[in-house]
Amino acid sequence: MLNTLRLSISDIPKISGILQTKINHTAQFFLNSPLVLDCQDLGDKCANLDFSALYKVVKSVGFVPVGVRNVPDDCLKYIKQSEWAIMRAATKPSRKKNTGKVDEPKANRVEVISRPLRSGQQIYAPEGDVVILHQTSSGSEILADGSVHVYGTLRGRVLAGVNGEKSARIFCQSLQADLVAIAGCYQLLDDADTELKGQAAMIRLEAGKLIFEPLA
Amino acid sequence: MSKVVVITSGKGGVGKTTTAASIAIGLAKQGHKTAVIDFDVGLRNLDLIMGVERRVVYDFVNVINGEATLKQALIRDKRADGLFILPASQTRDKESLTKEGVESVIEELKSEGFEFIVCDSPAGIEKGAYMAMYFADEAIVVTNPEVSSVRDSDRVLGLLQSKTRKAEQGDVVKEHLLIARYSPVRVDEGDMLSLEDILDILAIPMIGAIPESGSVLQASNRGIPVILDDKSQAGQAYSDVVARFLGETVPHRFLEVEKKGFLQRLFA
Ligand SMILES: Nc1ncnc2c1ncn2[C@@H]1O[C@H](COP(=O)(O)OP(=O)(O)OP(=O)(O)O)[C@@H](O)[C@H]1O
Ligand SMILES: [Mg+2]
Repeated sequence: MLNTLRLSISDIPKISGILQTKINHTAQFFLNSPLVLDCQDLGDKCANLDFSALYKVVKSVGFVPVGVRNVPDDCLKYIKQSEWAIMRAATKPSRKKNTGKVDEPKANRVEVISRPLRSGQQIYAPEGDVVILHQTSSGSEILADGSVHVYGTLRGRVLAGVNGEKSARIFCQSLQADLVAIAGCYQLLDDADTELKGQAAMIRLEAGKLIFEPLA
Repeated sequence: MSKVVVITSGKGGVGKTTTAASIAIGLAKQGHKTAVIDFDVGLRNLDLIMGVERRVVYDFVNVINGEATLKQALIRDKRADGLFILPASQTRDKESLTKEGVESVIEELKSEGFEFIVCDSPAGIEKGAYMAMYFADEAIVVTNPEVSSVRDSDRVLGLLQSKTRKAEQGDVVKEHLLIARYSPVRVDEGDMLSLEDILDILAIPMIGAIPESGSVLQASNRGIPVILDDKSQAGQAYSDVVARFLGETVPHRFLEVEKKGFLQRLFA
Protein backbone atom coordinates (compact mmCIF):
# COMPACT_ATOMS: atom_id res chain seq x y z
CA MET A 1 0.00 0.00 0.00
CA LEU A 2 1.00 3.58 -0.58
CA ASN A 3 0.99 5.49 2.70
CA THR A 4 0.38 9.18 2.85
CA LEU A 5 1.66 11.26 5.72
CA ARG A 6 -0.13 14.58 6.09
CA LEU A 7 2.45 16.93 7.46
CA SER A 8 1.34 19.69 9.78
CA ILE A 9 4.64 20.26 11.53
CA SER A 10 8.14 20.79 10.18
CA ASP A 11 9.97 19.50 13.23
CA ILE A 12 11.96 16.50 11.96
CA PRO A 13 12.56 14.74 15.30
CA LYS A 14 8.80 14.90 15.98
CA ILE A 15 7.96 13.54 12.52
CA SER A 16 10.49 10.80 13.05
CA GLY A 17 8.80 9.95 16.36
CA ILE A 18 5.40 9.71 14.70
CA LEU A 19 6.70 7.41 11.98
CA GLN A 20 8.57 5.27 14.48
CA THR A 21 5.42 4.85 16.56
CA LYS A 22 3.50 3.86 13.46
CA ILE A 23 6.05 1.21 12.60
CA ASN A 24 6.23 -0.08 16.18
CA HIS A 25 2.48 -0.20 16.76
CA THR A 26 1.70 -2.09 13.61
CA ALA A 27 4.18 -4.85 14.24
CA GLN A 28 6.30 -3.76 11.31
CA PHE A 29 3.34 -4.00 8.96
CA PHE A 30 4.48 -0.82 7.24
CA LEU A 31 8.11 -1.78 7.02
CA ASN A 32 9.48 -1.06 3.55
CA SER A 33 6.22 0.35 2.32
CA PRO A 34 6.25 3.45 0.12
CA LEU A 35 5.51 6.79 1.77
CA VAL A 36 4.19 10.00 0.21
CA LEU A 37 4.23 13.30 2.08
CA ASP A 38 1.23 15.56 1.77
CA CYS A 39 2.09 19.20 2.48
CA GLN A 40 -1.43 20.63 2.19
CA ASP A 41 -1.59 21.62 5.87
CA LEU A 42 1.99 22.78 5.98
CA GLY A 43 1.66 25.31 3.16
CA ASP A 44 4.35 27.97 3.11
CA LYS A 45 5.96 26.42 6.15
CA CYS A 46 7.49 23.92 3.68
CA ALA A 47 10.28 26.46 3.38
CA ASN A 48 11.34 25.63 6.97
CA LEU A 49 11.54 21.92 6.34
CA ASP A 50 14.82 20.24 5.43
CA PHE A 51 13.49 17.73 2.89
CA SER A 52 16.83 15.98 2.41
CA ALA A 53 17.11 15.36 6.14
CA LEU A 54 13.51 14.17 6.23
CA TYR A 55 14.25 11.77 3.37
CA LYS A 56 17.03 10.18 5.41
CA VAL A 57 14.81 9.97 8.48
CA VAL A 58 11.94 8.35 6.57
CA LYS A 59 14.36 5.83 5.12
CA SER A 60 16.04 5.06 8.42
CA VAL A 61 12.70 4.48 10.14
CA GLY A 62 11.96 1.84 7.51
CA PHE A 63 9.65 3.42 4.96
CA VAL A 64 10.45 3.77 1.28
CA PRO A 65 10.40 7.54 0.63
CA VAL A 66 8.62 8.29 -2.63
CA GLY A 67 7.27 11.74 -3.28
CA VAL A 68 5.77 14.96 -1.98
CA ARG A 69 2.42 16.36 -3.00
CA ASN A 70 0.53 19.62 -2.47
CA VAL A 71 3.61 21.77 -2.23
CA PRO A 72 3.15 25.52 -2.80
CA ASP A 73 4.88 26.62 -6.03
CA ASP A 74 7.31 28.85 -4.12
CA CYS A 75 8.58 25.84 -2.23
CA LEU A 76 9.04 23.45 -5.17
CA LYS A 77 12.71 24.41 -5.37
CA TYR A 78 13.36 22.88 -1.93
CA ILE A 79 11.95 19.57 -3.12
CA LYS A 80 13.94 19.68 -6.34
CA GLN A 81 17.15 20.02 -4.31
CA SER A 82 16.24 16.92 -2.32
CA GLU A 83 15.80 13.26 -3.21
CA TRP A 84 12.00 13.46 -3.20
CA ALA A 85 9.88 13.40 -6.33
CA ILE A 86 7.28 16.09 -6.81
CA MET A 87 3.82 14.63 -7.20
CA ARG A 88 0.87 16.62 -8.33
CA ALA A 89 -2.39 16.24 -6.48
CA ALA A 90 -4.76 13.75 -7.98
CA THR A 91 -6.76 15.36 -10.72
CA LYS A 92 -9.43 12.81 -11.39
CA PRO A 93 -10.55 12.91 -15.01
CA SER A 94 -13.88 14.68 -15.01
CA ARG A 95 -16.49 12.58 -16.73
CA LYS A 96 -18.80 15.31 -17.87
CA LYS A 97 -21.80 13.85 -19.59
CA ASN A 98 -24.48 15.52 -21.66
CA THR A 99 -23.20 18.99 -21.06
CA GLY A 100 -24.06 19.80 -24.63
CA LYS A 101 -20.45 20.67 -25.37
CA VAL A 102 -18.31 18.29 -27.36
CA ASP A 103 -15.17 17.48 -25.40
CA GLU A 104 -11.94 18.17 -27.16
CA PRO A 105 -10.01 15.00 -27.93
CA LYS A 106 -7.83 14.28 -24.94
CA ALA A 107 -4.77 12.12 -24.55
CA ASN A 108 -2.53 11.60 -21.61
CA ARG A 109 0.96 12.92 -21.62
CA VAL A 110 3.64 10.37 -22.44
CA GLU A 111 7.09 10.92 -21.03
CA VAL A 112 9.71 9.23 -23.21
CA ILE A 113 13.16 8.73 -21.70
CA SER A 114 15.83 7.83 -24.23
CA ARG A 115 18.73 7.31 -21.84
CA PRO A 116 19.31 4.61 -19.25
CA LEU A 117 17.90 5.50 -15.85
CA ARG A 118 20.86 5.20 -13.49
CA SER A 119 21.17 4.50 -9.79
CA GLY A 120 20.09 7.57 -7.82
CA GLN A 121 17.97 8.95 -10.65
CA GLN A 122 14.25 9.32 -10.38
CA ILE A 123 11.56 10.28 -12.83
CA TYR A 124 7.95 11.08 -12.24
CA ALA A 125 5.39 11.32 -15.02
CA PRO A 126 2.36 13.16 -13.70
CA GLU A 127 -0.98 12.45 -15.34
CA GLY A 128 0.44 10.05 -17.86
CA ASP A 129 2.63 7.17 -18.89
CA VAL A 130 6.34 6.82 -18.97
CA VAL A 131 8.24 4.98 -21.68
CA ILE A 132 11.91 4.17 -21.16
CA LEU A 133 13.77 3.09 -24.26
CA HIS A 134 16.67 1.67 -22.25
CA GLN A 135 17.38 -0.26 -19.13
CA THR A 136 16.95 1.09 -15.63
CA SER A 137 19.39 0.49 -12.79
CA SER A 138 19.13 -0.84 -9.32
CA GLY A 139 18.74 2.22 -7.11
CA SER A 140 16.66 4.13 -9.68
CA GLU A 141 13.00 4.98 -9.33
CA ILE A 142 10.19 5.40 -11.83
CA LEU A 143 6.87 6.91 -10.82
CA ALA A 144 3.92 7.48 -13.10
CA ASP A 145 0.30 8.36 -12.63
CA GLY A 146 -0.30 6.06 -15.60
CA SER A 147 1.55 3.02 -16.89
CA VAL A 148 5.26 2.30 -17.18
CA HIS A 149 6.92 0.70 -20.20
CA VAL A 150 10.59 -0.27 -20.12
CA TYR A 151 12.19 -1.48 -23.34
CA GLY A 152 15.16 -2.96 -21.56
CA THR A 153 15.99 -4.54 -18.25
CA LEU A 154 13.90 -3.15 -15.41
CA ARG A 155 15.87 -2.87 -12.19
CA GLY A 156 15.25 -0.64 -9.20
CA ARG A 157 11.82 0.51 -8.07
CA VAL A 158 8.83 1.17 -10.25
CA LEU A 159 5.51 2.62 -9.13
CA ALA A 160 2.66 2.95 -11.61
CA GLY A 161 -0.72 4.53 -10.93
CA VAL A 162 0.74 6.50 -8.03
CA ASN A 163 -2.38 8.64 -7.80
CA GLY A 164 -4.56 5.61 -7.38
CA GLU A 165 -5.23 4.62 -10.99
CA LYS A 166 -5.91 0.90 -10.72
CA SER A 167 -5.86 0.25 -14.47
CA ALA A 168 -2.20 1.28 -14.72
CA ARG A 169 0.21 -1.46 -15.76
CA ILE A 170 3.92 -2.12 -15.84
CA PHE A 171 5.59 -3.64 -18.89
CA CYS A 172 9.22 -4.57 -19.24
CA GLN A 173 11.62 -6.56 -21.38
CA SER A 174 13.38 -8.22 -18.49
CA LEU A 175 11.94 -8.13 -15.00
CA GLN A 176 14.63 -7.61 -12.37
CA ALA A 177 12.96 -4.90 -10.28
CA ASP A 178 13.46 -4.54 -6.54
CA LEU A 179 9.98 -3.18 -5.92
CA VAL A 180 6.89 -2.89 -8.10
CA ALA A 181 3.70 -1.06 -7.18
CA ILE A 182 0.42 -0.26 -8.87
CA ALA A 183 -2.03 2.16 -7.26
CA GLY A 184 -0.27 1.75 -3.95
CA CYS A 185 -0.35 -2.04 -3.96
CA TYR A 186 3.26 -3.03 -3.87
CA GLN A 187 5.52 -6.05 -3.80
CA LEU A 188 9.20 -6.42 -3.06
CA LEU A 189 10.90 -8.74 -5.52
CA ASP A 190 14.21 -9.23 -3.79
CA ASP A 191 14.05 -13.01 -3.74
CA ALA A 192 12.44 -15.52 -6.04
CA ASP A 193 8.98 -14.01 -5.80
CA THR A 194 8.11 -14.73 -9.37
CA GLU A 195 9.33 -17.24 -11.87
CA LEU A 196 9.18 -14.42 -14.43
CA LYS A 197 12.30 -12.84 -13.02
CA GLY A 198 14.61 -11.98 -15.90
CA GLN A 199 11.85 -12.38 -18.47
CA ALA A 200 9.60 -10.07 -20.46
CA ALA A 201 6.65 -9.41 -18.21
CA MET A 202 3.50 -7.42 -17.62
CA ILE A 203 2.21 -6.56 -14.19
CA ARG A 204 -1.37 -5.53 -13.53
CA LEU A 205 -3.68 -5.11 -10.58
CA GLU A 206 -6.67 -7.35 -10.11
CA ALA A 207 -8.84 -7.44 -7.00
CA GLY A 208 -6.16 -5.79 -4.94
CA LYS A 209 -3.47 -8.25 -6.01
CA LEU A 210 -0.55 -7.79 -8.37
CA ILE A 211 -0.68 -10.25 -11.25
CA PHE A 212 2.54 -11.08 -13.11
CA GLU A 213 2.20 -12.37 -16.65
CA PRO A 214 4.72 -13.25 -19.33
CA LEU A 215 4.83 -10.99 -22.39
CA ALA A 216 4.91 -13.33 -25.31
CA MET B 1 40.03 21.26 -31.03
CA SER B 2 40.66 20.43 -27.42
CA LYS B 3 38.98 17.62 -25.59
CA VAL B 4 38.38 17.54 -21.86
CA VAL B 5 38.42 13.96 -20.54
CA VAL B 6 37.47 13.13 -16.97
CA ILE B 7 38.68 9.95 -15.29
CA THR B 8 36.04 9.19 -12.70
CA SER B 9 34.51 6.29 -10.76
CA GLY B 10 32.49 7.12 -7.67
CA LYS B 11 34.20 4.48 -5.57
CA GLY B 12 37.69 5.18 -4.21
CA GLY B 13 40.87 3.26 -4.90
CA VAL B 14 39.75 1.65 -8.14
CA GLY B 15 42.61 2.93 -10.31
CA LYS B 16 41.60 6.41 -11.50
CA THR B 17 44.95 8.07 -10.87
CA THR B 18 46.84 5.08 -12.29
CA THR B 19 44.66 5.39 -15.40
CA ALA B 20 44.95 9.18 -15.70
CA ALA B 21 48.75 9.01 -15.49
CA SER B 22 49.09 6.24 -18.07
CA ILE B 23 46.58 7.66 -20.52
CA ALA B 24 48.11 11.13 -20.32
CA ILE B 25 51.59 9.74 -21.05
CA GLY B 26 50.18 7.53 -23.81
CA LEU B 27 48.43 10.43 -25.55
CA ALA B 28 51.52 12.63 -25.35
CA LYS B 29 53.71 9.82 -26.71
CA GLN B 30 51.39 9.65 -29.71
CA GLY B 31 52.22 13.29 -30.38
CA HIS B 32 49.24 15.00 -28.74
CA LYS B 33 49.87 17.97 -26.49
CA THR B 34 48.29 16.90 -23.21
CA ALA B 35 47.70 18.32 -19.75
CA VAL B 36 46.70 16.19 -16.79
CA ILE B 37 45.06 17.92 -13.82
CA ASP B 38 44.83 16.47 -10.31
CA PHE B 39 41.42 17.38 -8.84
CA ASP B 40 42.03 15.44 -5.65
CA VAL B 41 42.66 18.55 -3.59
CA GLY B 42 43.90 17.70 -0.14
CA LEU B 43 45.26 14.29 -1.04
CA ARG B 44 47.74 14.89 -3.89
CA ASN B 45 48.56 11.68 -5.54
CA LEU B 46 49.01 12.15 -9.26
CA ASP B 47 52.37 13.87 -8.84
CA LEU B 48 53.68 10.83 -6.93
CA ILE B 49 52.51 8.33 -9.53
CA MET B 50 54.00 10.57 -12.24
CA GLY B 51 57.23 10.84 -10.24
CA VAL B 52 57.27 14.65 -10.18
CA GLU B 53 56.48 15.27 -6.52
CA ARG B 54 59.80 17.02 -5.88
CA ARG B 55 59.19 19.45 -8.67
CA VAL B 56 55.87 20.77 -7.35
CA VAL B 57 56.15 24.48 -6.55
CA TYR B 58 52.69 25.84 -7.28
CA ASP B 59 49.45 23.95 -7.63
CA PHE B 60 45.96 24.06 -9.17
CA VAL B 61 44.49 26.07 -6.27
CA ASN B 62 47.34 28.60 -6.44
CA VAL B 63 46.42 29.21 -10.08
CA ILE B 64 42.70 29.50 -9.31
CA ASN B 65 43.42 31.98 -6.51
CA GLY B 66 45.71 34.02 -8.74
CA GLU B 67 48.76 33.29 -6.57
CA ALA B 68 50.64 31.82 -9.54
CA THR B 69 50.25 31.77 -13.29
CA LEU B 70 49.30 28.58 -15.09
CA LYS B 71 52.76 28.52 -16.73
CA GLN B 72 54.44 28.62 -13.32
CA ALA B 73 52.35 25.75 -11.99
CA LEU B 74 52.50 23.37 -14.95
CA ILE B 75 55.21 20.75 -14.62
CA ARG B 76 56.75 19.53 -17.87
CA ASP B 77 57.12 15.77 -18.05
CA LYS B 78 60.65 14.67 -18.94
CA ARG B 79 59.63 11.37 -20.54
CA ALA B 80 56.93 12.47 -22.95
CA ASP B 81 57.17 15.63 -25.05
CA GLY B 82 54.12 17.83 -24.83
CA LEU B 83 52.91 16.44 -21.49
CA PHE B 84 52.27 18.79 -18.59
CA ILE B 85 51.05 18.04 -15.09
CA LEU B 86 48.99 20.42 -12.96
CA PRO B 87 49.30 19.09 -9.42
CA ALA B 88 46.75 19.38 -6.62
CA SER B 89 47.40 21.13 -3.39
CA GLN B 90 48.02 18.98 -0.34
CA THR B 91 46.89 21.51 2.17
CA ARG B 92 43.72 23.14 0.96
CA ASP B 93 40.27 21.72 1.09
CA LYS B 94 38.03 20.96 -1.87
CA GLU B 95 35.96 24.11 -1.39
CA SER B 96 38.75 26.09 -3.02
CA LEU B 97 37.81 24.62 -6.40
CA THR B 98 35.26 27.05 -7.83
CA LYS B 99 33.44 26.54 -11.07
CA GLU B 100 34.71 29.87 -12.44
CA GLY B 101 38.25 29.05 -11.36
CA VAL B 102 38.23 25.62 -12.96
CA GLU B 103 36.70 27.01 -16.13
CA SER B 104 39.34 29.71 -16.46
CA VAL B 105 42.16 27.17 -16.10
CA ILE B 106 40.58 24.84 -18.68
CA GLU B 107 39.97 27.70 -21.09
CA GLU B 108 43.56 28.86 -20.76
CA LEU B 109 44.84 25.34 -21.45
CA LYS B 110 42.64 25.20 -24.54
CA SER B 111 43.96 28.51 -25.81
CA GLU B 112 47.51 27.25 -25.22
CA GLY B 113 46.81 24.53 -27.77
CA PHE B 114 46.42 21.55 -25.48
CA GLU B 115 44.63 18.81 -27.43
CA PHE B 116 43.69 16.72 -24.43
CA ILE B 117 42.97 17.92 -20.92
CA VAL B 118 42.78 14.87 -18.65
CA CYS B 119 41.06 15.45 -15.31
CA ASP B 120 41.86 12.98 -12.52
CA SER B 121 38.76 12.99 -10.31
CA PRO B 122 38.73 12.33 -6.58
CA ALA B 123 36.50 9.52 -5.29
CA GLY B 124 32.94 10.17 -4.22
CA ILE B 125 30.26 12.35 -5.74
CA GLU B 126 30.98 15.51 -3.78
CA LYS B 127 32.32 18.87 -4.88
CA GLY B 128 35.72 17.72 -6.13
CA ALA B 129 34.29 14.97 -8.32
CA TYR B 130 31.60 17.32 -9.56
CA MET B 131 34.18 19.95 -10.54
CA ALA B 132 36.32 17.35 -12.31
CA MET B 133 33.41 16.18 -14.47
CA TYR B 134 31.59 19.46 -15.04
CA PHE B 135 33.50 20.62 -18.12
CA ALA B 136 34.10 17.16 -19.60
CA ASP B 137 33.49 16.27 -23.24
CA GLU B 138 34.25 12.60 -22.62
CA ALA B 139 34.45 10.42 -19.55
CA ILE B 140 36.42 7.31 -18.79
CA VAL B 141 34.55 5.58 -15.99
CA VAL B 142 36.87 3.28 -14.06
CA THR B 143 35.28 0.24 -12.44
CA ASN B 144 36.58 -2.79 -10.57
CA PRO B 145 34.82 -6.13 -11.08
CA GLU B 146 32.82 -5.96 -7.88
CA VAL B 147 29.25 -4.99 -7.11
CA SER B 148 29.86 -1.85 -5.03
CA SER B 149 32.21 -0.38 -7.61
CA VAL B 150 29.82 -1.07 -10.48
CA ARG B 151 26.93 0.43 -8.53
CA ASP B 152 28.92 3.62 -7.89
CA SER B 153 29.92 3.85 -11.54
CA ASP B 154 26.27 3.59 -12.49
CA ARG B 155 25.54 6.50 -10.19
CA VAL B 156 28.36 8.53 -11.72
CA LEU B 157 27.04 7.82 -15.23
CA GLY B 158 23.74 9.34 -14.15
CA LEU B 159 25.51 12.45 -12.88
CA LEU B 160 27.58 12.75 -16.07
CA GLN B 161 24.39 12.98 -18.09
CA SER B 162 22.65 15.41 -15.77
CA LYS B 163 25.12 17.53 -13.82
CA THR B 164 27.69 18.49 -16.45
CA ARG B 165 27.83 21.52 -18.70
CA LYS B 166 27.25 19.29 -21.73
CA ALA B 167 24.10 17.88 -20.11
CA GLU B 168 22.85 21.35 -19.22
CA GLN B 169 23.25 22.31 -22.88
CA GLY B 170 21.20 19.28 -23.92
CA ASP B 171 24.28 17.47 -25.19
CA VAL B 172 25.80 14.20 -23.97
CA VAL B 173 29.18 13.39 -22.46
CA LYS B 174 30.72 10.51 -24.40
CA GLU B 175 31.08 7.51 -22.10
CA HIS B 176 33.83 4.89 -21.99
CA LEU B 177 34.08 2.04 -19.54
CA LEU B 178 37.49 0.98 -18.27
CA ILE B 179 37.59 -2.09 -16.09
CA ALA B 180 40.66 -2.04 -13.86
CA ARG B 181 42.15 -4.81 -11.74
CA TYR B 182 40.51 -7.50 -13.84
CA SER B 183 41.52 -11.00 -12.87
CA PRO B 184 40.28 -13.73 -15.24
CA VAL B 185 41.24 -16.40 -12.70
CA ARG B 186 39.10 -14.87 -9.97
CA VAL B 187 36.22 -14.35 -12.39
CA ASP B 188 36.42 -18.05 -13.27
CA GLU B 189 36.37 -18.92 -9.59
CA GLY B 190 33.26 -16.80 -9.17
CA ASP B 191 34.85 -14.24 -6.81
CA MET B 192 34.44 -11.36 -9.21
CA LEU B 193 31.90 -10.05 -11.66
CA SER B 194 32.63 -11.03 -15.24
CA LEU B 195 32.95 -8.56 -18.11
CA GLU B 196 29.52 -9.67 -19.33
CA ASP B 197 27.94 -8.96 -15.92
CA ILE B 198 29.48 -5.50 -15.76
CA LEU B 199 28.56 -4.58 -19.33
CA ASP B 200 25.04 -5.86 -18.75
CA ILE B 201 24.58 -3.57 -15.76
CA LEU B 202 26.29 -0.45 -17.09
CA ALA B 203 25.51 -0.83 -20.80
CA ILE B 204 28.21 1.52 -22.13
CA PRO B 205 31.05 0.70 -24.55
CA MET B 206 34.18 -0.75 -22.98
CA ILE B 207 37.45 0.93 -23.91
CA GLY B 208 39.54 -1.73 -22.20
CA ALA B 209 40.15 -4.02 -19.28
CA ILE B 210 43.39 -3.70 -17.32
CA PRO B 211 44.51 -6.94 -15.69
CA GLU B 212 45.33 -7.05 -12.00
CA SER B 213 49.10 -6.87 -11.94
CA GLY B 214 51.83 -6.37 -9.37
CA SER B 215 53.66 -4.21 -11.88
CA VAL B 216 51.16 -1.38 -11.22
CA LEU B 217 52.17 -0.92 -7.60
CA GLN B 218 55.85 -1.25 -8.52
CA ALA B 219 55.42 1.39 -11.19
CA SER B 220 53.63 3.75 -8.77
CA ASN B 221 56.33 3.34 -6.17
CA ARG B 222 58.97 4.23 -8.73
CA GLY B 223 56.99 7.16 -10.09
CA ILE B 224 56.93 5.65 -13.57
CA PRO B 225 53.40 5.23 -14.96
CA VAL B 226 52.83 1.57 -15.81
CA ILE B 227 52.17 2.29 -19.50
CA LEU B 228 55.93 2.86 -19.82
CA ASP B 229 56.57 -0.71 -18.66
CA ASP B 230 56.00 -2.53 -21.92
CA LYS B 231 56.77 -5.91 -20.38
CA SER B 232 53.81 -5.59 -18.06
CA GLN B 233 50.40 -6.78 -19.23
CA ALA B 234 48.78 -3.84 -17.46
CA GLY B 235 51.11 -1.49 -19.35
CA GLN B 236 50.27 -3.13 -22.67
CA ALA B 237 46.56 -3.00 -21.88
CA TYR B 238 46.85 0.76 -21.21
CA SER B 239 48.64 1.22 -24.56
CA ASP B 240 45.69 -0.52 -26.22
CA VAL B 241 43.28 1.79 -24.39
CA VAL B 242 45.11 4.86 -25.69
CA ALA B 243 45.03 3.49 -29.24
CA ARG B 244 41.28 2.81 -28.97
CA PHE B 245 40.71 6.25 -27.50
CA LEU B 246 42.41 7.70 -30.57
CA GLY B 247 40.06 5.76 -32.81
CA GLU B 248 42.03 2.61 -33.67
CA THR B 249 40.43 -0.81 -33.57
CA VAL B 250 42.52 -3.00 -31.32
CA PRO B 251 41.39 -6.44 -30.12
CA HIS B 252 41.02 -6.89 -26.36
CA ARG B 253 43.73 -8.90 -24.63
CA PHE B 254 44.30 -10.53 -21.25
CA LEU B 255 40.62 -11.37 -20.73
CA GLU B 256 40.98 -15.15 -20.62
CA VAL B 257 42.65 -17.34 -18.07
CA GLU B 258 46.13 -17.98 -19.45
CA LYS B 259 46.50 -21.52 -20.78
CA LYS B 260 49.55 -23.12 -19.32
CA GLY B 261 52.16 -24.05 -21.93
CA PHE B 262 53.37 -27.62 -22.41
CA LEU B 263 56.48 -27.15 -20.25
CA GLN B 264 54.59 -25.25 -17.56
CA ARG B 265 52.11 -28.08 -17.43
CA LEU B 266 54.92 -30.62 -17.08
CA PHE B 267 56.42 -28.76 -14.15
CA ALA B 268 53.17 -27.65 -12.55
N1 LIG C 1 45.58 -2.97 -12.66
C1 LIG C 1 45.99 -2.93 -11.37
N2 LIG C 1 46.58 -4.01 -10.81
C2 LIG C 1 46.98 -3.98 -9.53
N3 LIG C 1 46.85 -2.92 -8.71
C3 LIG C 1 46.27 -1.81 -9.21
C4 LIG C 1 45.79 -1.75 -10.56
N4 LIG C 1 45.25 -0.52 -10.76
C5 LIG C 1 45.39 0.16 -9.59
N5 LIG C 1 46.00 -0.61 -8.65
C6 LIG C 1 46.32 -0.24 -7.27
O1 LIG C 1 45.15 0.21 -6.62
C7 LIG C 1 45.45 1.26 -5.71
C8 LIG C 1 44.60 2.47 -6.04
O2 LIG C 1 44.96 2.98 -7.32
P1 LIG C 1 44.74 4.51 -7.69
O3 LIG C 1 45.41 5.41 -6.73
O4 LIG C 1 45.06 4.67 -9.13
O5 LIG C 1 43.17 4.59 -7.48
P2 LIG C 1 42.25 5.88 -7.42
O6 LIG C 1 40.96 5.46 -7.99
O7 LIG C 1 42.92 7.05 -8.03
O8 LIG C 1 42.11 6.10 -5.86
P3 LIG C 1 41.47 7.38 -5.12
O9 LIG C 1 39.99 7.17 -5.21
O10 LIG C 1 41.98 7.27 -3.73
O11 LIG C 1 41.93 8.59 -5.85
C9 LIG C 1 46.93 1.53 -5.85
O12 LIG C 1 47.60 0.88 -4.81
C10 LIG C 1 47.28 0.93 -7.19
O13 LIG C 1 48.61 0.50 -7.22
MG1 LIG D 1 43.27 9.02 -7.24
